[in-house]
Amino acid sequence: MSTPPSPQGDRRFDSAANGDAELLESHAKAASKQTDEKGNYSLLPLGLIFGSSALIFWAAVYVTKFSGRYDPKMFDETAPPSTGVEVVAKVDPIVAGKKLYLSACVACHLPDGNGIAGVNPPLAGAEWVLGSEERLARIVIHGLKGPITVKGSQYNGAMPVFGKVAGSGYNWSDDKIAAVLTYIRQEWGNKGAAVSTELVTAIRTKEGGRKEWSPEELLQIP
Amino acid sequence: MSTDSNDSTAIDTHSRGPLLLLLGSGVLWLVVSGVLALITSIQLHTPTFFADCAWLTFGRAQALRETAFVYGWLANAGLALGLWIAVRLGGEAMRAGNWVVVGAVFWNLGVSLSLVGIAAGDAAGHPFFQIPSYAQPLLLVAYGAIAVAGVLAWAGRRHETGFASQWYVFAALFLFPWLFSVAQVTLVWLPVRGVLQAIVAGWFAQGIYSLWLAPLALACAYYLLPKISGRVLPAYSFAVFGFWTLIVMGCWTGGRHLIGGPVPAWIASVAIAACSLMVFHYLVVFLNFRSAIGAKSSALYFTSFGLLAYLLSGLVEAVISLRGVALHAQFTFVEQAVQQLSLYGAVSMVFFGALYFAVPRLVGKNWASSSLVGGHASLVTVGVVLLVVALTAAGVAQSHMMFGATQPAKFAEVASATRPWLLVATAAQVALLLGNLMLLVNFAQTVAALVPFRAAANSVSRPALKSVLS
Amino acid sequence: MKNGPLFFLGLFASLTFSFAGVVLFSNYQLGGLTPYYDDSEGKSFPERLPGVAARGQMVYRDLGCVACHTQQVRRPSFGNDQAQGWGERQSVARDYIHQSYPQLGAARIGQDLTNLAGRKPSALDAEDLMKLLYLGQGAMPAYTFLFQDVKVSGQVPKTALKLTGKSAPLPGHAVVPTERAQVLVAYLLSLNTAYDYPESRPVVKTAAKAEGAHK
Repeated sequence: MSTPPSPQGDRRFDSAANGDAELLESHAKAASKQTDEKGNYSLLPLGLIFGSSALIFWAAVYVTKFSGRYDPKMFDETAPPSTGVEVVAKVDPIVAGKKLYLSACVACHLPDGNGIAGVNPPLAGAEWVLGSEERLARIVIHGLKGPITVKGSQYNGAMPVFGKVAGSGYNWSDDKIAAVLTYIRQEWGNKGAAVSTELVTAIRTKEGGRKEWSPEELLQIP
Repeated sequence: MSTDSNDSTAIDTHSRGPLLLLLGSGVLWLVVSGVLALITSIQLHTPTFFADCAWLTFGRAQALRETAFVYGWLANAGLALGLWIAVRLGGEAMRAGNWVVVGAVFWNLGVSLSLVGIAAGDAAGHPFFQIPSYAQPLLLVAYGAIAVAGVLAWAGRRHETGFASQWYVFAALFLFPWLFSVAQVTLVWLPVRGVLQAIVAGWFAQGIYSLWLAPLALACAYYLLPKISGRVLPAYSFAVFGFWTLIVMGCWTGGRHLIGGPVPAWIASVAIAACSLMVFHYLVVFLNFRSAIGAKSSALYFTSFGLLAYLLSGLVEAVISLRGVALHAQFTFVEQAVQQLSLYGAVSMVFFGALYFAVPRLVGKNWASSSLVGGHASLVTVGVVLLVVALTAAGVAQSHMMFGATQPAKFAEVASATRPWLLVATAAQVALLLGNLMLLVNFAQTVAALVPFRAAANSVSRPALKSVLS
Repeated sequence: MKNGPLFFLGLFASLTFSFAGVVLFSNYQLGGLTPYYDDSEGKSFPERLPGVAARGQMVYRDLGCVACHTQQVRRPSFGNDQAQGWGERQSVARDYIHQSYPQLGAARIGQDLTNLAGRKPSALDAEDLMKLLYLGQGAMPAYTFLFQDVKVSGQVPKTALKLTGKSAPLPGHAVVPTERAQVLVAYLLSLNTAYDYPESRPVVKTAAKAEGAHK
């Protein structure tokens, strides 16, 4: 059953200009690599070739520049090539040190750094804290045993072992010890210099594992 | 003007049942999704609309609208038109028509089940993949049944050399189940970890458009324009390059939605590069169709509009994917505008054109009403243009307030700035819904002639109808 | 199309190409992400959600909140997410490894929620969130179906919302959040990604690195 051709302006039917077989044939001919009357092949338009080449070039440059070296940790495509993520951004030692102090030291030396009379020496204004770093670091790394005179009073407690040495229950890294020492030297009105991780490492390497210091031994160290 | 050959007419008549079922379901879903789109559009500027109804809360309503539009209207229409072109160009009558009918019924059952599930809260939660997990296997199997006819159309084709429409149709039919099943496995059954879900979802959503819907629309366009105009496509000899560019590069562009997101930078960079390479595909499409753009008939009008929108959407995507522009366009209504331009302005309009061309041939008589065709054309044109413009303007206003400011933007202010444009968008949705209702009525009236009992009952009052069928 | 099998092989290869490049390669890079253990804090990040908050995440998902809200912060040099107060650093892949269904979002009709509970100067508390959900605000609708209006005789329930003015319940009634509202608010209050992973603020390796300096 054939459908009648539509009169002009009637939108109820769209007439087709050719049949399907014709359509296929004419386009197959257009796509086939036949030569025309003069015997020449038809060429791709130059504009198309140049255009596509330019697009490919641009895309390649873009991907190379902003790929972030395909690193799964590079979320910022503008980061310079020397950016690495292995180095953790430095944490403020005072902040870290305060956290550590509050986790372990506060039980004996108290939040105000005044210690407990006769047992645990104060840290606020103490000459041991503000004085030689060599002595101070050794106290924390290896512990202290024996009566010690701080700010004119005597204290007879036992300071546990904090460093990464044999027999230590805490095994704090050198970073942590340096942080907490920096904190106690700059808190409660103390105006001491910061303690560096390198110093702690040097001291620990030099002394190795040993039993707790006694105040007499420490006083011999400059 | 000559009509189609008798061969084609016989093919059309033989395949009318399954194809009209698919097309009819599609048009019904178009109206349903239009209602849902109207609801969500109103909810954007009047949040109290249906706010107390958990089933239609905005988040769920958006998912409902999207599912009904893509898996309801676009899927049904695309599959119908794709199969129609495949059998026509194959030169053989459709085989396994019954499979298509069964598949269509179960596909639409699956979509209905999905909508109920989404309204109840089971949406899968990914763009273009909101279908609840229990409906997904059903849809995949139903698709397989429909695609059997496509496979047989391929196997039984008469001519060895293919035409561009056939490449696009068979590519779409072949690639969808792979996309869909991969998405199912990696997002629902064995979900990948963390942001990988967003990466896979972006890949899938882009694949749905670039590797399924756009090829089906292009198949219709490549078929209709030379057929109606009678001229050979001017750039046909390199249409093949455009085809392969789309297929190879299409899926890579999905990563552009993750610019600045919690994914490695290379995903977005590669996507941006792919968006630019896709310009080549759009260039080839443009070269093939530039001479055939016209409004001689409704099919040609819709197809031309759709192709122009398609080209515009390609250009806009290439520009909007650049990081400097994405910075302002991301997360705003501009992205929705681009999506509507692609899905409604491009794919849907081309489907409308092919629908207007195909249905009279399938049914065997002209469309019931010429004025309804004209009304649909005007309303949908106005609707799409208004919608895209309004959403773009709303997005620009949003972007200006949110990303231009150095101090925190008050969202109440942003809402009032975008409100007028969202009202315009609602008006556009009303126009679209009215236009599509006209299409539905026209379609129903046209197809009604095929229903035998109705013809018998009306044999006294409609003698003309009886003579057509006898 | 003369060579049918080659055509379909080409199609399959193209899809596999993008699948392998986008999905498989990303999975290779990000699939094995582990939580980051912090020595000084003594725990690993990101932290898992408590059970109530995990249920709230399911409510967030099923209501489709992702349609208006994003949960991804862009880096300070790309957009003004930081100026908006949504986060000090960009979101990285590790933030989402414990989420079953990350809701990254693609539209900011409402604000970004990544750090809702961690915002400075003041984050919202449970009461504010309950009121916000019940009354709505601006473009956000009122989720009245997440609440119940109950008759009260005697003591008002502890969880009842303190509402005044037009939205106050009738005398003898109280507005009580349902369990869904409670778990949703618990989830919203758990949204906090303040921890700074190494990859979120990469450091430029130069010869002499100033101590404590970072972008």
